[in-house]
Amino acid sequence: MDILYLLIQNAYISMTVLLVVALGGLLAERSGVTNIALEGIMILGAFLGVWAIHGLEIYPYSLMTIVVMIVVVLIWVISLDVLVNFGLSKLGFKCVGLNRLHMKQRENRLYIALNIFIVLVFASLIMLSFFLFGIPKQIILIMGIMIGGAVGGVYAMVHAHASIYMKADQVISATALNLFAPAFAIFTARFIQRGQQIPFSSSFMIPKIPLLGDIPIIGELFFTRVFISFYIALALLVIIWIIVYKSKFGLRLRACGENPHAADSLGINIYKLRFKAVTLSGVFAGMGGVIFVISTSTEFNVTVAGFGFLAIAVLIFGNWRPSGILMAAIFFGFTKTLAASYTAIPFLDNLGLQREYYELIPFIATLIILAFFSKNSQAPKALGQIYDQGKR
Amino acid sequence: MNEHKKQAKDVIVKILKKLGQAILRALVVIKPSLIAIGLGLFIGLIIMLIFDAGDAFPALGTLLIGGFNGGLRGIGNTLYQAAPIILTGLAVAFAFRTGLFNIGASGQMMMGAYVAIHIGVRYTLPGTVHWIIAFLAGMLAGAIWGLIPGLLKALSNVNEVVSSIMMNYIAGNLLIIFIMKYVFNPTYSRSLNILRTAELPLLTSVFPNSTANIGIFIAIIVVIIAHIILHKTTLGFGLRASGFSMPGSKYAGMNTKANIITAMTLSGSFAGMAGAIAFLVVGKNIGTAFEIFPQGFDGISVALLGLGEPIGALFAGLFLANIRMGAFYMQRYSFVPQIIDMIIAVIIYVTAISAALQMIFKRYGQQFKAWRLSRHEKKEGK
Amino acid sequence: MTYKVEMRHITKIFGTLYANDDVTLQVKQGEIHALLGENGAGKSTLMSVLFGLYHQEQGDILIDGSPVEIKNPNDANRLGIGMVHQHFKLVESFTVLDNIILGAEDTQNGIIQYEQATKKLQHLIQTYKLHVDLHAYIKDITVGQQQRVEILKMLYRDADILIFDEPTAVLTPQEIHELMNIMRGFAKEGKTIMLITHKLNEIKAVADVCTVLRRGKKIGTVNVKDTSIETLAEMMVGREVSFTVEKPDMEHGEAIFEVEHLNVSGHGRHAVKDVSFKVHRGEILGIAGIDGNGQTELIHALTGLKPIISGKATLMGSDITHLPIRQKYQKGMSHIPEDRQKHGVVMDFDLQSNLILQNYYQPQFQKHAFLKFDVIQDHADELINRFDIRSERGPKTIVRQMSGGNQQKAILGREISRAHELLIAVQPTRGLDVGAIEYIHAQLISERNQQKAVLLISLELEEIMNLSDRILVMYEGEIVGELDPKKTTVNELGLYMSGAKRGGVHE
Repeated sequence: MDILYLLIQNAYISMTVLLVVALGGLLAERSGVTNIALEGIMILGAFLGVWAIHGLEIYPYSLMTIVVMIVVVLIWVISLDVLVNFGLSKLGFKCVGLNRLHMKQRENRLYIALNIFIVLVFASLIMLSFFLFGIPKQIILIMGIMIGGAVGGVYAMVHAHASIYMKADQVISATALNLFAPAFAIFTARFIQRGQQIPFSSSFMIPKIPLLGDIPIIGELFFTRVFISFYIALALLVIIWIIVYKSKFGLRLRACGENPHAADSLGINIYKLRFKAVTLSGVFAGMGGVIFVISTSTEFNVTVAGFGFLAIAVLIFGNWRPSGILMAAIFFGFTKTLAASYTAIPFLDNLGLQREYYELIPFIATLIILAFFSKNSQAPKALGQIYDQGKR
Repeated sequence: MNEHKKQAKDVIVKILKKLGQAILRALVVIKPSLIAIGLGLFIGLIIMLIFDAGDAFPALGTLLIGGFNGGLRGIGNTLYQAAPIILTGLAVAFAFRTGLFNIGASGQMMMGAYVAIHIGVRYTLPGTVHWIIAFLAGMLAGAIWGLIPGLLKALSNVNEVVSSIMMNYIAGNLLIIFIMKYVFNPTYSRSLNILRTAELPLLTSVFPNSTANIGIFIAIIVVIIAHIILHKTTLGFGLRASGFSMPGSKYAGMNTKANIITAMTLSGSFAGMAGAIAFLVVGKNIGTAFEIFPQGFDGISVALLGLGEPIGALFAGLFLANIRMGAFYMQRYSFVPQIIDMIIAVIIYVTAISAALQMIFKRYGQQFKAWRLSRHEKKEGK
Repeated sequence: MTYKVEMRHITKIFGTLYANDDVTLQVKQGEIHALLGENGAGKSTLMSVLFGLYHQEQGDILIDGSPVEIKNPNDANRLGIGMVHQHFKLVESFTVLDNIILGAEDTQNGIIQYEQATKKLQHLIQTYKLHVDLHAYIKDITVGQQQRVEILKMLYRDADILIFDEPTAVLTPQEIHELMNIMRGFAKEGKTIMLITHKLNEIKAVADVCTVLRRGKKIGTVNVKDTSIETLAEMMVGREVSFTVEKPDMEHGEAIFEVEHLNVSGHGRHAVKDVSFKVHRGEILGIAGIDGNGQTELIHALTGLKPIISGKATLMGSDITHLPIRQKYQKGMSHIPEDRQKHGVVMDFDLQSNLILQNYYQPQFQKHAFLKFDVIQDHADELINRFDIRSERGPKTIVRQMSGGNQQKAILGREISRAHELLIAVQPTRGLDVGAIEYIHAQLISERNQQKAVLLISLELEEIMNLSDRILVMYEGEIVGELDPKKTTVNELGLYMSGAKRGGVHE
């Protein structure tokens, strides 16, 4: 039984990476833009994200570090707000009990000042504790993931600009990104530190979550020997589901991917929306890259083992739906784990097949599924087509 | 007497004029490639300047001189490296002409390489035929590996980009399985050396100490054959028509499904040949760590730079191999050879946006001319 | 008095074509104003300018007496202008509700709120009797219901100027009746309706005022009640018959091409309904009709670009109904396609390659799969001479660089010179200059004189009248009449083409 738990926990690792990256790919493709640059974006995000982690581990007490961390969080919150039009700023005001319409000018300003003061006090307290006691491990990881995501987003903008505004072939521009990222990573790493690997010290695996990990069965399944990225991925799944199916941004996104002419005739800016979608897909890929490295090894070594391409397969396998992506990610995660640990299962061990046979399964399965389902695929109808406003 | 001299002069001038015009026309045609290469090298230079300004220009020089840095040995190795990427470039270009994107050149090359090695290691055949059979077997293996995505696209409308990527990974894993099962060298965890008889005839007499073999000649011949097929035969006619205009070729009665399958199969065979050429050398072995050969992606760069033409792939392949070799020699400076991959990536990116770039250049050119004109007019007015 | 909508001296140019030439339109509030005209008359263009899809070169627009700038559909929406397009702009996988609110969603923290919208829409549905299930998916509802969704899209945005572009093209008679009631309901409420159409009886049934356009110019505005259908038809097609062609009288020969009970699908219903006809040797059979009445689908089906649901087509005695395209050519069919740049040529090939596009594999052009370029070039030279195809570099010219007229002459030459018995020509002179048109007409007549069978589809009435020996009229996918060009008039043709008149088909 223990073996089963170990296998499952191991499978979570692959599943998490695939889930995160494929969800990002979902956003891009649902808006009508193919993005096979996920592999390259993952590598670049992993490179700078892991480097950030490396840096944070070495200099946890530096003021500069902490200021940078806060800036990163702020940029993230603001950018996401802009990208997805969530109106978080309005939400923030409401949470603090402000209803500006009902206030008189002077009282209004007083309330705003008071709330800013409270936020600043909290921030300073946090800064002080980090300064004195060092930054908790998981916070370092989250920082790394956020930086990786930011890098991924910016890098994806390059692809987005080329394929949306400059009408470039989406596959070619994506290939350029895939080629540039590892080269850049090796080049920069070797130049700055004489070696292309970037190590980080600790394992970020959480051996057991207090209380929750003690629950029989469920504790073993979900709260033991996990990474925080596992929960992040599941949270992202829910968030993406809400965004795509319940939000204004999501509705318009899907419209762009299915019938951009209809969306255009209703005044929606196709170019801007697709650009945002591709940028977001880069953010997810960047995060996925960092998650891949910290959960599978102890250093960054300029590879993400094809997970970027596998994520595309997961996306297609999952029929461009979050629920399908989850299923596909679980399937691929398990087959990956099987390949790594089949020796632990006596039945399989006795078959005497080497690891690579198991590695083959997800790829062959994808081909078979594609062969049968491409005719009825639910791909976004306008996927891969360059949108030209001139052709109204 | 002077009359004859004048006539001769006129004739020479005429010939020179025509030559000049032809060269100009050729330059116009390859303008996009030149712009892309220029921009790529320019950005590479900037990166080098940022990291170490002192060494930047001499490093660039070494880069461009390429294989010639190492004398005959360097040139020989350059030719050896060039042949496979010329062929993978040809593979991508050929598929391109039919409107298909063959990202699977790597996988096709890997299968070709393995089958060639397999025959080279496990069979004993007389020297004259051994390498020929190994080579042809490699070609066939690549053809089959290209056929599969082609069939999937023609019959089930499976996107060839995704299926090709899958085939790459399947090939990568199959290679490890097969090597360990049939041609394993446990000492070094690699494939065994092929028998001497299976080796492609070497050119070490001309290029001592290098691994140059007749692969480069094979590549040239295949390029010519591909060019002939594409431009001189009925098959090529149909393929190009499908590539330019699927509705037009359909209206004309062509069998578009057959065209897709044929193009992918031929494309795969070219890549398979690349694998055979690269590995039918005693001492060249495939390792057992998972790998997808990078030459497949180089093939994409070569095809794009060569503007989708077989002959273009030849020159682009030679150019690329040369600057890669240059990157190797550039290591005597503080720069890492990955600079070349970055440059190539930029080149590809520029190629992708070239259409838009040209329009931007045009627009700025017109604005500039208009500005100059208005300034001129103002001057006159004064 | 202040008009609700006033478009003054609107001129819209595409390249060298004056799509709208100094057109002035005045619409009163609460009026149902029809825009009548043939294809290319400029009615869709004019309304596209009003809706912000195009921007006029000259002229201005006034809404409620004040001048306005309409740069895009958003501006139009803000002014209360809505448009139901001929080809619906709906997202098939969305629900009706989502399609309507797209672009105008109520949100809270980014999440869409449906209550307000649903309430408002239910109210609109009840008021205007536009019954449709808000939660149904577009792909599951009928075309008539889809149109209601488009109408609701306009009403939801509080449009009070509603433009309908050929709304009845895709409806059943029952649905047309319902739509007209709905339009009358809008007018009674004080909304202003613009109706683009070529169907005269519908104009008579529901419109108050009608403006007629022809070739970009406004011909006149009339009160529908006081104007007869004949007058309207006359205004639409006019009396100009520009050029006549020498056409010797001939007895036609045997029927070599026979179409029986053909049904072809399109737009979710049958675009071609039970069509039967014969074409004889030495005859030009013209099929007249307004664009969108099934002609395109008919030809695509006969030439193999589209599948046939039921029916049969026979050429020279062989059944060619389901043959692959290449074999249709081998049986004696030649085809000048409607969309010459998409289907007729490979634009990036050179002229000589295009001239052998269909028969490059034949023994005269290749040996052991190697193309005989000298033969190909000679063949091209011959056709260039015979058909006066002009190009910069002769046979090596890239077709993309040739003018439209010469591209068409090339296609014509190819199709005529190839061995064939039946020539199908669709819109052969569209977009061409006078010289090219004359030339092509002469060639078609010559074909007929040489005892070939010619099937001519055209939207130009004069062309049909001048060239045809017999004329069939297609309306809503059916053949509604057979006329003798010597005995009929352009106006009578207009009546058939707009569904006002129906007759039998002989033979």
